[in-house]
Amino acid sequence: MTIAPDSFDFVATLVRRRSAIQLDSGKEYLVESRLAPLARSAGAADVESYIRSVRANVTLHDKVVEALTTNETSWFRDRHPFTVLKDTVIPDAITRRGKHLKVWSAACSSGQEPYSIAMTIAEHFPDVRASIVATDLSEEVLAKGRSGQYSQLEVNRGLPAPMLVRHFERKGAFFEANERLRSMVSFRRHNLLDAPPLGGPYDVVFLRNVLIYFDVATKRDVMRRVRSVLAPGGWVFLGAAESTIGVDDIWERVPVAGGALYRPREGKAA
Amino acid sequence: MKALVIDDSRVMRRIVGTILKDVGFEVVEAGDGQEALMRLEQHPDVRLCCIDWNMPVMNGYEFIVAARAKPEYRDITLMMITTEGEQDQIVRALAAGAHEYVIKPFTADVIIDKLDYLGLLDQEVSV
Amino acid sequence: MTATVDWAPVLDADPLLQITQDLFATMIDDEPGYVSHWEGERPELEDARHTWVDVADEQIVRVVIGTGRETGEAITRALLRMAPGEEVTDEDFVDAVGEVANVVCGNVKSLVTHPGTLTIPVVADAPPPLGDGERLVDACLSWRGAPLTVSLWVLP
Repeated sequence: MTIAPDSFDFVATLVRRRSAIQLDSGKEYLVESRLAPLARSAGAADVESYIRSVRANVTLHDKVVEALTTNETSWFRDRHPFTVLKDTVIPDAITRRGKHLKVWSAACSSGQEPYSIAMTIAEHFPDVRASIVATDLSEEVLAKGRSGQYSQLEVNRGLPAPMLVRHFERKGAFFEANERLRSMVSFRRHNLLDAPPLGGPYDVVFLRNVLIYFDVATKRDVMRRVRSVLAPGGWVFLGAAESTIGVDDIWERVPVAGGALYRPREGKAA
Repeated sequence: MKALVIDDSRVMRRIVGTILKDVGFEVVEAGDGQEALMRLEQHPDVRLCCIDWNMPVMNGYEFIVAARAKPEYRDITLMMITTEGEQDQIVRALAAGAHEYVIKPFTADVIIDKLDYLGLLDQEVSV
Repeated sequence: MTATVDWAPVLDADPLLQITQDLFATMIDDEPGYVSHWEGERPELEDARHTWVDVADEQIVRVVIGTGRETGEAITRALLRMAPGEEVTDEDFVDAVGEVANVVCGNVKSLVTHPGTLTIPVVADAPPPLGDGERLVDACLSWRGAPLTVSLWVLP
């Protein structure tokens, strides 16, 4: 079943007020899929009746906002970007910039993405020095990322066992990223609506599965801020379901190995 | 594609077997490493083995060593599925020739992700 | 206690709770949130079943799980993806609760980096003989409102 328009409006308003994230109509599926687990554990008949109970109970609001703004995360998520990173983007960046690369992993959540980037570099380009700036809105997920500690369940999820034993060490109930990996990644709090993080210019920016939350004007602003810290010839990764098409024509979409990369069009570089 | 599930626990064979069947595998079973070597002779088209560690007669580690000693099995993907979560054990299994290692408990997604990564999923069921 | 085994990581109820929660969230309930510490007075198990697995070495480490028969049957149905109310045979019951004990014990073994090997689970109507054993942890948990005991012993 689908949720009623006024229920959707309620959730969209709540999320926009708390996080500046815009849920346009058409995002009903997102609200439904993210709130379904909450509805289940609350014993509600469906998402619609769960939202009705949320409207009557302000203490449930935080949970709803969190469910809609927290990014699902796993190691080498979607895999394809990491293949392209290894086969195309890093070799290209090395020819332009030498063996010191700067990477920005935006909306990095609890750190699986920046550590996956770090493992890709450590495994395939051992003589490259990389500094990866990983940012997110939530201090809680940043603290987890900094600790580099992941539970058995978390490392089971998408982290190939050979990489697990090369880059992590078991410490009690956790597997901890080794010193080399942790030294490559620095975690900082950052809101994509603010000025971009220092530490650029970046050769590669990962900005995946976050534009989907914004309206077109905000998407354009966020992408322009990304461009302002992108190194000449730098590349941007977006989520598989995201694109700059219809957002801003300063971006060129470059098809690579069944997916796409983005860079500023020539002559329009920052 | 055919898979061999090697576990002395009937319940685990059923759980792992169900996950594999759901993504299109034909499943054969064995209760220990020795029986598994027999099954491999009967089913030369097995492409994947999911292997428990602790089993009577021949354990999972010994099975991996035995299977890796035979060139005719070199294209078979070996995935340990076990509660043995110590780093040393994982390293040992990989060094002996296992390709992947899943620590129990796990969800179906964990197994499916790993099969996908290893290139063992048909296009239409892969996520 | 031998020098090779460091018991510190499991010396209160929380690691056992975490292990049990992870197990139920992944293989039994398909989502977290159904296992917690038992609140209030510890209840009697109705028609109790006790399941244990050892890590055998110089010292024996034993994990004992206690449930009522009905709770054990519900766990079996969930683990084996059976229909609600479907009849649970003794064989399925023993295998399923045995597997639960096996996973909990295996995870304990990893935490304390015990060098021994896991034994085949045993299920019985009475608790196992624990003789001069030392009980390190004794937790009473709730799974969907039903009691579930998890205890950890070291036997000489």
